[in-house]
Amino acid sequence: MPQTQVLICHSLEELDQIAKKILHICSQEKIWLFEGDLGAGKTTLIKAISRNLGVVEAMSSPTFGLVNEYRSPQATIYHIDCYRLRNVREAVEIGIFDYLDSGNYCFIEWAERIVEIFDPPYWLVQIQTENTEQRTITLSKHE
Amino acid sequence: MITILAIESSCDETSAAVLRDGKVLNNLIATQSVHERYGGVVPELASRAHQQHIVPVVNQAIQEANISKNEISAVAFTQGPGLLGSLLVGTAFAKAFALGLNVPLIGVNHMKAHILAHFIADTKPNFPFLCLTVSGGHTQIVLVRDYLDMEVIGQTQDDAVGEAFDKTAKMLGLPYPGGQYIDRYAKEGNPLAFGFPDVNTPDLNFSFSGIKTAVLYFLQKNTKENPNFIQENISDICASVQQTLVRILLKKVRKAAERYKIKEIAIAGGVSANSGLRKTLQDMALEKKWNVYVPDFQYCTDNAGMIAITAYYQYLANDFVGQDANPDPRLRIA
Repeated sequence: MPQTQVLICHSLEELDQIAKKILHICSQEKIWLFEGDLGAGKTTLIKAISRNLGVVEAMSSPTFGLVNEYRSPQATIYHIDCYRLRNVREAVEIGIFDYLDSGNYCFIEWAERIVEIFDPPYWLVQIQTENTEQRTITLSKHE
Repeated sequence: MITILAIESSCDETSAAVLRDGKVLNNLIATQSVHERYGGVVPELASRAHQQHIVPVVNQAIQEANISKNEISAVAFTQGPGLLGSLLVGTAFAKAFALGLNVPLIGVNHMKAHILAHFIADTKPNFPFLCLTVSGGHTQIVLVRDYLDMEVIGQTQDDAVGEAFDKTAKMLGLPYPGGQYIDRYAKEGNPLAFGFPDVNTPDLNFSFSGIKTAVLYFLQKNTKENPNFIQENISDICASVQQTLVRILLKKVRKAAERYKIKEIAIAGGVSANSGLRKTLQDMALEKKWNVYVPDFQYCTDNAGMIAITAYYQYLANDFVGQDANPDPRLRIA
């Protein structure tokens, strides 16, 4: 039974606080899979978390480039987007294990396409859209 | 005589080009036809498949340019930004090739190369000029003072504009990448049929993730009332979204042009193929008395021709790297 916690984000103004809470709960593990529909705010949440890890540079979506890499004095972060990957083989060919085994933070969007690749322990961060502003964020640890 | 072999492998495409004295002789991208000669298959997306493409593509570029390997004065490669695994293949190949020929190496910045692609054609922009670089992964306004003197004066804070096109297409049920389908449908549609709000971003920066969400909610609301809403209105939806994205891009270009008092305006990157962007830019240029530069389509998307022309100017400036050069996925325009 995975360890699960539920957070409610009522508006964008609360996002920074939510990001801090998530880091507090999850930062023991470095691999986090983000699930949520198009427009749920996966990239927005990952940006907020990364800002709290000291990233100051402009952050953009990695859908086209597959992996964006950010560094701060506190952490190296790989922001990975599996949206364009069709199968496990393609994930292996882009070198996904090099990132997963690096010991650095890996924030991964659309991981459900290749979920069999991820060995526990990792955190699953599910974002559910309640209305235009409100999101329910479910954190579950897979061990 | 300066002869440069250039290799691009930053993302999906493996490409090779040969340049002689500032003129790009050819620009080959690994395609099925290149591969059929060698009995191989080209996977659509597999960065490590660059390994399979690189030898045939380089071979063909050298053959078609009708040069001998011994005439090559330098080997150029994309050093970044891009996907590490992909960049590594081009870097390792270029290093080995240069070492074998005992010629210098030139590490090229992919984003600068998109801009310098304008110097492949006969009509070249005059310095200083502004370049709007728009693609699936990037959205930037760059102030170009000289070949190798550039400054990013505005960029996206979240999604690239190409991603906004592609994800809108996805929501409309069009295949990925769907930017080109949006463009096609938009030609038949009314750009003022539906309104999407501009996102106010500071200064010369952009934001496109809000538009994506606005389109999503708009489609959800309307398909709830009419399940056939998308099918019945696809041209108008595409035209309206495209008009919104183009308007946001050009608003900042106009602002940059006024601020820097520059009338030489260029566009680069894959999205510069978008006909709505081209047309609106041309209209604005007439009104503002700008000179507008749009590269040939083959030099808009990722290609080695643009790496070759950039390497040529680096060669003239004595800007080489050693055998210890590494790819840098995070490379920025300084």
